[in-house]
Amino acid sequence: MALLEVDNLSKDFGGLRANDSISFRLAPGELLGLIGPNGAGKTTLFNCIAGKYPVTSGRIVFDGEDITALRAHEVARRGLARTFQVYTAAGDLTVRENVMVGCFMRTPSRRKAREQADAILTDLKLADTADLFVSELPVAAQKKVTMATALGTRPKLLLLDEVAAGLNPGEIEDIMASIRHINDQMGIAVILIEHVMELVMRTSERLIVLDSGRKIAEGLPEEIARNEQVIKAYLGERYVQEHGGEGM
Amino acid sequence: MEALKNAFDFSDQPRLDLTIAAGVALFLLTFPLLPVSAFALATMIQFFIFSLYGMGWNTIGGYGGQVDLGKAQYVGIGAYTTTILLIRWDIPFWFSMPIGVVLAVTWSFIIGYPLFRLKGHYFAIATIATSLVLKDIFEVWEFVGAARGLEISPIEYTPPDFLRLIFKEDIYYYYVLFVFFLVGILYLNWFRKSRLGYQLRAIKDNEDVARSLGINVHWAKIKTYAIATAYVSVVGSFHACYIKAIEPEDTMSLDISILIALMAMLGGAGSLWGPIIGAGILIPLKSYLKEWLGGVAGLTGMDLILYAVIIMVISAKEPRGVWGIVERVRRRKQT
Repeated sequence: MALLEVDNLSKDFGGLRANDSISFRLAPGELLGLIGPNGAGKTTLFNCIAGKYPVTSGRIVFDGEDITALRAHEVARRGLARTFQVYTAAGDLTVRENVMVGCFMRTPSRRKAREQADAILTDLKLADTADLFVSELPVAAQKKVTMATALGTRPKLLLLDEVAAGLNPGEIEDIMASIRHINDQMGIAVILIEHVMELVMRTSERLIVLDSGRKIAEGLPEEIARNEQVIKAYLGERYVQEHGGEGM
Repeated sequence: MEALKNAFDFSDQPRLDLTIAAGVALFLLTFPLLPVSAFALATMIQFFIFSLYGMGWNTIGGYGGQVDLGKAQYVGIGAYTTTILLIRWDIPFWFSMPIGVVLAVTWSFIIGYPLFRLKGHYFAIATIATSLVLKDIFEVWEFVGAARGLEISPIEYTPPDFLRLIFKEDIYYYYVLFVFFLVGILYLNWFRKSRLGYQLRAIKDNEDVARSLGINVHWAKIKTYAIATAYVSVVGSFHACYIKAIEPEDTMSLDISILIALMAMLGGAGSLWGPIIGAGILIPLKSYLKEWLGGVAGLTGMDLILYAVIIMVISAKEPRGVWGIVERVRRRKQT
């Protein structure tokens, strides 16, 4: 049975159709990459799935339950966590306290929340930053803290929205390792929105490509890289005519 | 049990702060025994009262970042409940106080539900409005004595009456309040590191992120608003027994609401010691300014001008108040 099932999902903002009849399935423990040019509707899709936006039409089933009409905090409590593209983490809380806020979703006990937070921080190799304020950390570590906080809610599925944006190659390697750890060792399914192609091609088991709100392709990374429609979407019609669709 | 242990857990506070706090506590404990004037003692009682109001405000206003300018209505509900129950049915303070809390919290849920659909300035203005409306209702409501208010006449009781909190000497009120003050600090210390306390700080920082962590933002705000209300209502009940004459104009006025918020903001909104520091600065200042300048014609409004100046300085220079300055200096020393 699929962990997440998105069925003909559409989202309108006034006259603009940001998501147009998107359907896909995600198996438990899968790592799916979601790519597409700027404005393709990737973050909107996340926001619809996570309950931030009400959908215009369509259906979202998570873990056997219809979550289409649920609000963001209700979706989160069912085991669907996410990170945000621009958000870092609460600057006046320490790293540990940030992660504890996530853990508090499942336990009212301060002691337990603290223990769980410390375990997650160790897992993501952030243990030595636990007592620092988030605002004192470099951006890459801040991004990892937002992932750790989301993991505090013990999700079955984690939506990561451009966690590698603006990072240098070394930091990207580190984040990739963390994502793999979350997926392989913790067994959490992940959907990854990413512009850093190297990261998304190397980590994802499967890719979905959006363009102008529509799903234009779906498949293995190597298939997607050779897909003519995808190349058109990224590089334009003329590039494909001139180069004969030789891959990305 | 864990909650009780956590209330006494100050381990994240620097040793220097705890030493100072212990020193201040010792000073407060012995203060009435020193040769001090009745005026000084009355000022200290006001300091406790506003510290407690400020601590209550600090939960929703400081940790939660929701600027609430309508706390006076709950002073009124507490004070009126205690007075009415006492003078009509001779129900003593220790019973009327919790009844007042129940009424105040119920009222806070009723108005909190729509209020927290609003954000920022709109929320602040709406809290002022609800408080003023309640005051206006009380001013024409005969059952509660309308604009004349109500009086507790001490001759009917035999002070010291610990059950009804009717005393002749202020020193009794002082020590009862001192106990409330300590309990207030312990509760705030527990609250700030409780699940709700942390969730509230996440809400203050970013509501969308808070929701993504399973937090029902609207409900968390309403709950915290009720906690703030309980603090204020308890002290309102106490205030009624202490002052023995209440009327809408001086228990529920806008001045009180603003002063409550100002205590916490001056001292440091969202910090444990902030409201106490704020009250410690502002109450003696206000009290003595009134004493010195109040008699001079044309200078009666000086305290209001003072508040205005403080608000401007805080918002322009240091939104986190005196405590913000302390923390800034500390961080600079570390690096």
